[in-house]
Amino acid sequence: MVGAAACLEDRVVTRKPSAGSLAEASGRDALVAEFVESWRGLEGDAWIVRGGRDEVRRTIVEAARIMVEDGGPATSCRVLAWSTADLASLDLPGLLAQQGWEHVPWPTGARAGEAAAGTNGAAAAGDVPGAEEVTRTQAELVTLAAASDLGITTCAWAVAETGTIALYATPATGRLPSLLPTAHLALVRPSQVVRTVPDGLRLLAEYMAREGDPPSAVNLVSGPSRSADIEGDLAVGVHGPRRAGVIIGEW
Amino acid sequence: MPGELPPAGATWPERRRRALADPAMRAAVAKSTRSLAVKKEAVFATYPAAEAMRKRAVIARRGSLARVDALLDELTRRVEARGGHVVRAAGPADVGRYVLDVARRRGVQRVVKSKSMATEEIALNEQLENAGLHVRETDLGEYIIQLAGERPAHILVPASHKTRQQVRALFDEEAAACAVDPPVGDATPELTAFARRQLRADFLAADMGISGGNFLVAETGTLVLITNEGNGRMTTSLPRVHIAVVGIDKIVATWADLADLLQQPALSGTGQRLSTYTTFITGPRREGELDGPEEFHLVLLDNGRHELLGTEFVDILACIRCGACLNVCPVFRTIGGQAYGTMYSGPIGVVLTPLLGGLERAPELPKSACALCYACADACPMEIDLPRHILALRRTEVERGMEPWSDRLTFELWGRFWANPAGFRFTGRIARLGQRVYVRDGRLKGAPGLVGGWTATRNAPPLARESFHEWWARRRASRTGS
Ligand code: SF4
Repeated sequence: MVGAAACLEDRVVTRKPSAGSLAEASGRDALVAEFVESWRGLEGDAWIVRGGRDEVRRTIVEAARIMVEDGGPATSCRVLAWSTADLASLDLPGLLAQQGWEHVPWPTGARAGEAAAGTNGAAAAGDVPGAEEVTRTQAELVTLAAASDLGITTCAWAVAETGTIALYATPATGRLPSLLPTAHLALVRPSQVVRTVPDGLRLLAEYMAREGDPPSAVNLVSGPSRSADIEGDLAVGVHGPRRAGVIIGEW
Repeated sequence: MPGELPPAGATWPERRRRALADPAMRAAVAKSTRSLAVKKEAVFATYPAAEAMRKRAVIARRGSLARVDALLDELTRRVEARGGHVVRAAGPADVGRYVLDVARRRGVQRVVKSKSMATEEIALNEQLENAGLHVRETDLGEYIIQLAGERPAHILVPASHKTRQQVRALFDEEAAACAVDPPVGDATPELTAFARRQLRADFLAADMGISGGNFLVAETGTLVLITNEGNGRMTTSLPRVHIAVVGIDKIVATWADLADLLQQPALSGTGQRLSTYTTFITGPRREGELDGPEEFHLVLLDNGRHELLGTEFVDILACIRCGACLNVCPVFRTIGGQAYGTMYSGPIGVVLTPLLGGLERAPELPKSACALCYACADACPMEIDLPRHILALRRTEVERGMEPWSDRLTFELWGRFWANPAGFRFTGRIARLGQRVYVRDGRLKGAPGLVGGWTATRNAPPLARESFHEWWARRRASRTGS
């Protein structure tokens, strides 16, 4: 377990079920507990939130402080977040503004020009961009994502046994926010946790049956980027996010 | 016609000698292989689902191999329906030509690569660099190897033979060449930070990403890419063009098959339950998406694979490149990967190198780089009978008369003499006479020929003055005589 996650044990937001409560816990709670244990075993950070929307919002700030600034006061923080309806209900722009942090929403296709206008939220010409323009937008998005401190996403499902979250690439849920920022934070609902990888793949199969196709990219992520290429010594954060966190709760 | 592999470089005795004379490398290899083998054992012992999945995965893999052609057709249709391009490449030159064509058409100058044995096999980097492209390997181990100008020494941990001091020296050199700050120290986080900074810049500047693939799912035309570092995700998400070069053996029929296979490379490779990043790619970026490649190309590489279908060697195509057989192999653990003179080292390399590149490419491997201990057969999650294949390759070499005349003569004479008791006893008597000159301090030393190879590094006792047969005969004679 990573230091920061351990020190969070003492804070309000995290409560790891004790052995006794685990025994009584419903199957769902046991799955969540197993997922968190697996995730932490992979050097990931994890927070279980029981209090609902407000506590999830508080925990996002807490998590950002810890993962981006290692617990210190995060004076400036640029957050790149998916623009899904699910996340909209958390009012990230308001939450981050309170901290004086910058919120960059992932542009959906029709609003691509807006994102290209930059990080201050000023909207540019809003025409649906042609191929030429999208290319330019992607290059700028890459630069923007690489210069972000934190990427916030949700996930499609999570696997308890392996400590894995699944991210589907769609227009509103791009690949970059979970890839290029210094840290990645995923919000997971307890109902999304399944036991095994094949269980998760069955959910993907349902998606395929519904949509007729898999997404253009599905990423299964199990903790932060790691390598053992130098003398077999574990190194975290070679390419992808240096830290990977999950908040499990309802909002 | 088999495929084509890059040449070995030095001769086998030379490679072997260099390996044995490099204690730092040997210590590094011994350490990394032991650690990986222990982790594999541990995960199978503590994660019961692993073994059940493995057994089903073996069946799935062989089932898919039994109908490769039909599955490849299905895969091709699916990828094309999603706006991707598929080509079949017979060998190295086909791949090079295709990739360079795409590069020219799309004005590509800088290429990033995620680790891929298939592109090692066809020396793609060389082909691209010769055409003036800048190619960067982005897996940390491969990056180290690229800077060192070497070949990967292990299919999973390519730089496991390098010490951190050697890595730091390479990074210092690179820093000087690029006029950037060198790593601040040789601790793993410091070295990693340097590589991250350098490779980030390469990723952001690249126009083309080239990856391999761990599996291909025919029913949806999906490429499955597994990495721990995340460089696979970067390579396939950031550049405008993504080209995947994948052996035709990587095909599986369905997602149900994949479900059993997906964890196997991690389980047997590093002892993880699942690798950190698993990516399923189905075609290029879609309408409305703002990231991901505009073009997706899948190059299906044959290079000698197709002709193995229907032969006794077919199960070698089930290999998932986990490296488990390397980690338990006493030969690999002693000489490391470089000595094999091929990108596929260890037991899998001993079999695959001659099968893909022709027996003439590496006749020494089946003959000399295996002790027939069968450890690899036990370790292989895909139940590939590697020792049986090695024996079969040895047999083929003899049938084709490929071994040197001195070997043929030696074994011919040996066979003649030891085929009957009189011959056997006769050689014993000759050897006892002959050894006199070489016995010192009760040990056999400095003997010539085959025996000398043995006594150079080992203590061999001389033959006894009297053989058992002689002793027995003498004893019987004295009994009946009394
Ligand atoms: S032959 Fe077996 S053990 Fe060796 S790399 Fe292939 S699958 Fe792994």
